[in-house]
Amino acid sequence: MARNWLEYKTPAWVQWCPGCGNYGILAAVQRAVAELDIDPKKLTVISGIGCSGRETYYIKGSNMHVVHGRAIPAATGVKLARPDQTVLAIGGDGDMLGIGVEHFVSVGRRNVNITVIVHDNSVYGLTKGQAGPTLPAWVQTKALPGPNLHDNLNPLLLAFASGYTFIARGYAYHVDQTKELIKQAIEHKGTSLVHILQPCPTYNNIMTKQWYEQRIYYLQEENPEWNPLVTSQQDLLQKMPTILEKLVEWGDRIPLGVFYRNISKDTFEERLGKIILNYQEYPPGKRPIAIDGKPLVNPWEVFKEKVMQT
Amino acid sequence: MGNSPDLLLLIGGPQGGGIESAGQIALKTLILKGYSVIGTRDYKSNIMGAHSYYTIRARFDRPGAIRFPVDAAVALDAESILTHFNDVKPGGILVYDKGSLHTKIDAIQPMEQALKERLKKLFADKGLPPIAESAIKLAEEKGVRLIPLPMRQLVRKLAEITGASLTSVARAVNTIGLTAMLYLMGIEPRCVEKAIAAHFAAKKKVVAINVEASKLAVDYVEENFGAPSEFLADGPHRGKKVMLATGNEVVAMGKITGGLTFQSYYPITPASDEAIYMEKFRYHQLTSEAEAKLGTPKLGTVIVQTEDELSAIIMAIGAASAGARAATSTSGPGFALMNEAISLAIMAEVPVVITIWQRGGPSTGLPTKEGQQDLLHALFSGHGDNPKIILASGDHVEAFYDAIKLLNWAEKYQTPAIHLLDKYLASTTTVLYQDEIDPGKAVIERGWRIENPTTEKRYMITETGISPFIPIGGDTMIITGLEHTEEGFPTEDPVLRDEMVEKRRRKFETIAREIPAEEKVVLHGDPDAKVTLVSWGSTKPIILESLKILEEKGVKANFLQIRLFYPFPVKEVLDVLSRAETVINIEQNDLLQAAFLIRGFTGYNIKHHIKKTNGRAFWDTEIANAVLEILETGKREVVVKGGA
Repeated sequence: MARNWLEYKTPAWVQWCPGCGNYGILAAVQRAVAELDIDPKKLTVISGIGCSGRETYYIKGSNMHVVHGRAIPAATGVKLARPDQTVLAIGGDGDMLGIGVEHFVSVGRRNVNITVIVHDNSVYGLTKGQAGPTLPAWVQTKALPGPNLHDNLNPLLLAFASGYTFIARGYAYHVDQTKELIKQAIEHKGTSLVHILQPCPTYNNIMTKQWYEQRIYYLQEENPEWNPLVTSQQDLLQKMPTILEKLVEWGDRIPLGVFYRNISKDTFEERLGKIILNYQEYPPGKRPIAIDGKPLVNPWEVFKEKVMQT
Repeated sequence: MGNSPDLLLLIGGPQGGGIESAGQIALKTLILKGYSVIGTRDYKSNIMGAHSYYTIRARFDRPGAIRFPVDAAVALDAESILTHFNDVKPGGILVYDKGSLHTKIDAIQPMEQALKERLKKLFADKGLPPIAESAIKLAEEKGVRLIPLPMRQLVRKLAEITGASLTSVARAVNTIGLTAMLYLMGIEPRCVEKAIAAHFAAKKKVVAINVEASKLAVDYVEENFGAPSEFLADGPHRGKKVMLATGNEVVAMGKITGGLTFQSYYPITPASDEAIYMEKFRYHQLTSEAEAKLGTPKLGTVIVQTEDELSAIIMAIGAASAGARAATSTSGPGFALMNEAISLAIMAEVPVVITIWQRGGPSTGLPTKEGQQDLLHALFSGHGDNPKIILASGDHVEAFYDAIKLLNWAEKYQTPAIHLLDKYLASTTTVLYQDEIDPGKAVIERGWRIENPTTEKRYMITETGISPFIPIGGDTMIITGLEHTEEGFPTEDPVLRDEMVEKRRRKFETIAREIPAEEKVVLHGDPDAKVTLVSWGSTKPIILESLKILEEKGVKANFLQIRLFYPFPVKEVLDVLSRAETVINIEQNDLLQAAFLIRGFTGYNIKHHIKKTNGRAFWDTEIANAVLEILETGKREVVVKGGA
C-alpha cells in the first residue's frame, strides 16, 4: 500500500534558489518512500553540509544532520544500531566526493544496506560557487576567478571499485524516473549509489539544464536488452566489460539508469549476524543492557581467560 | 607468613622476542607465590628488533609504582645489557648471556645513537672498550652479583632433551633467564612451572619445552652459583580467585559489563588493544539470571574498525542517536581528528563516550611512551562553546567502574563524555581481586529515555536542561548540529538561540550538581597534612607510594587526586588547596596543564611543580625526592628524568 507523498512534507521553508535541481530530487525521494510505504518514523535521512544537506529538514523522517562529509558514517552507525530503519545518506558532490570521499569509498567495502544519494551539480553552492570534485578541468563556472585546474572524478567508477552493489544515475528534473531509481536503490540489499545530475542555475552556468538535456539518455531505452543484474562472481566477470563501458561514458553522451546491481554479496549486517548470531533480534539500538540497573554479564565469567586461581 | 619482600625485577630483550610473554609468566609465578603484583611493558614504535623491557614489582600488598634500580634483571642480548647494567641495585642480580659480551656497541643496529654515544664516552673515560662486557664490569664494580649463562649451550641441550628443533626452543631462552633470576631471588621453581602451564594453557608442547627450560636453568644455577640460601615467605593471597589484566583490558571489561552495544575505532597505539580485546568478546555470555529473564544466552557488542577517526566518532554518534550505548577509543592524534564531531555531539546532544589513551606528543611524538599531554586538548576539544564531561581514572579499578559511569553519564546527560587514560595504565598489568572487580557494585542508568513519545520533543526546553532522549526510529525529528528548535528544525532567531544556549548551560549545572563529590576529587592521606600533592590520572598509585616514602622521611603529605575535569570541581579543589601550607602539582606534561586549569577555574596559583616529560612513568622515589627537594629549597619546578 502506497502512502500519500504529502505525508513526508515538513513545516520547514524550503530555502533553495528557484530552479534548483534539489527540488526535483526532494520530490523524487518523497514519492519513492511514499510508494514504498515507509513509515516516516522508520525512515532516516542523514546529510552533511551544503545546499542538499538541508533536505533532512524537508523530508519527514527520524533524521540526522551532521557535519561536512560525514553523512555516510553517521548513516552506517544508525543502520548498524537499528537495521530495521530505512537509511538514506544524502549530500552534494563536494560533501560526498570531496571532504567525505574516504567514507564514500569505505562504505562500499562494508556493503551496509543504506542508500547513498549524491546531488551532483559540480559546484559548492552554499559557499558561493567554488569548483566541486566533478567539475572538469579548464571549465570556468561563473563564480570562479579562473579556470578549474582539477580533473573531475567519476563517482560511478569509484563506487564500482569500492564495492557498491547497486549503482544508478538519474537526472534531477526527471522526477518520475529518478523516483524509480531511488525505489530500486532502497529495495536493494547492500550499499546503493544513486548519482543524480543536477543543474545549479545560480553558479553552474556551463553544465546547465540545456547542457545536460542534450547529452543524457537512458540505458534501458537505448538498449531494451540492458541488464545490470549480477548474480555471482562469475557473472560479474562476464558482464564487467559492458558495465565498465557504460560507467565511464561521459561527454557528448551521458547514460542514466541502473548500471549495476549485484545480489551475490552479503551485507555488513548479514556478516555481523554470522558472528553475533542474534544480531537482527538484538541490534545495538534495541538490545537490553541491564536488568533493574544491574549488568547482564559477569566479567569473571566472560573474561575467564584472565582469571587465575592462586 | 614472614615479612613482605618488595621485589623489583626487569626482563629486557628485543621486541617480538617473547619479552611480553616472559613478563606475564613472571607475574603469574609471583601471583602463585601469593604476592600482589604490577608489571609494565616499555616498548618502541616497532614490530620487531627494537629493545623492549618488562618491569615487575611484587610484595604482599599491591605495589603502586615501578622504579629503578631493580633487585634483579635478565638481559639476554647485548642491547639489554648495555641499556640496563646500571639499573640493578648493588647486591642485586644481573642474569645475562655469556655469548653477548663481545658485541660492540656500534654493531647493535636498533640501539639509539644517543645512548651509544653516552656509553662510548662513559667506557672510554674508564679506559674500557666499547663492548657489552664493559657494562658487565661496571655492574660488578658497583656490587651487582653476576649470573652469566651459556645460553647457546643451554638451548642446544634443551633441544636435545625435548627432541624439538633449535628454532622451536629458541624462545625458551627467556624462560631460562627468567627462571634463573626468580630462583636466585628465592622463588620456588614449582611456582614458575605452574605459571608456565597457566600461561601457555592448551599449548601442551610449548608448556613441555618451557618447563624443561626452567628445570635446565635451575640445574645450571645450582651447579654454578649455588641454591638460594632460603626461599621467600609465601604471600597472603594464596587460594584466591584473581584476575590479571592490563588497563586496556580492564576498560574493555568495564564497557562490556556496562552494557556497551557499539564501539567504532581506528587503530592507534596505545588505544587499539582495548577495542581488539572487546572484539574477542563481542558475542558474550550473559549471567544465568539474565539469560533466564531475557530468554537468550548471549548478546552482542558491535565493534567496527573504521577507515579513520572521523568515521569512528561519527559512526558512534550515529549509533548512539539510534539508541545504541556507544563509544569510541583513540589516542591524542586520533582525537585531534575527532574534534569537529565532538562539537556536533554537544550541539546535537548525543551520548557518546570517547576513551582517550594519552601518549607522548606533540604530533606523532612518542607513540608508545607515556605522557599526560591531552588534558587541555580534551577540555577544549571542539569549536564553539564546548562543554563535555571529562573524567580521569587513577588506576585499574577506577578505570573499570569509570568506564561504566561514563556510559551512564553520557546517556543520562546526552553529551560526549571523555575518559582520560594513558599509555602507562594501558600497558600496565595488575592483579585484581574479586571485591575490586565486582559487577554487583556496578550500576547501569540511562536517564530519561522515551522510545515512543507522545508529546515530548527531542530538544524540549526543561528546567534541568535535560530533554527526553528519543532514539531514531522512535519519532520524526532531526538530530542536528545546527542551532535548532525543540523539534530539531534550524533556527537563527535571537531569542530562541539564547533559550537553547541557556538550556545547554543548565544541563551542565545539573551535571555539576548531580555527580557525587567523591567522584570529582579524592583527598588521600591525612586531611590536615601541611603538604598537599596535586595530580591526576595514572600517577595516583605512584604518588600513594611516594607518600609512604615521605612519611618514613618524616614528611607528612596528603594527595589531592582530581578525577573530574569538567564540570570542574571548583569548591572541592579550593577547599583542599586553601588549607594546605605547601601545594605541589605533579604531572607528565611540560605545560603543567592541570595547574593551568586549576588557576583558570579557581584562581588558585600553585607555586611548585614536579614534572616528567621523557616518556617514562614517574617512580615513587623520584616524586618523594623531588618533594623533599622542593620543601628544602623552595624551588618552583623539579623535572625528573628516570627511566631507560
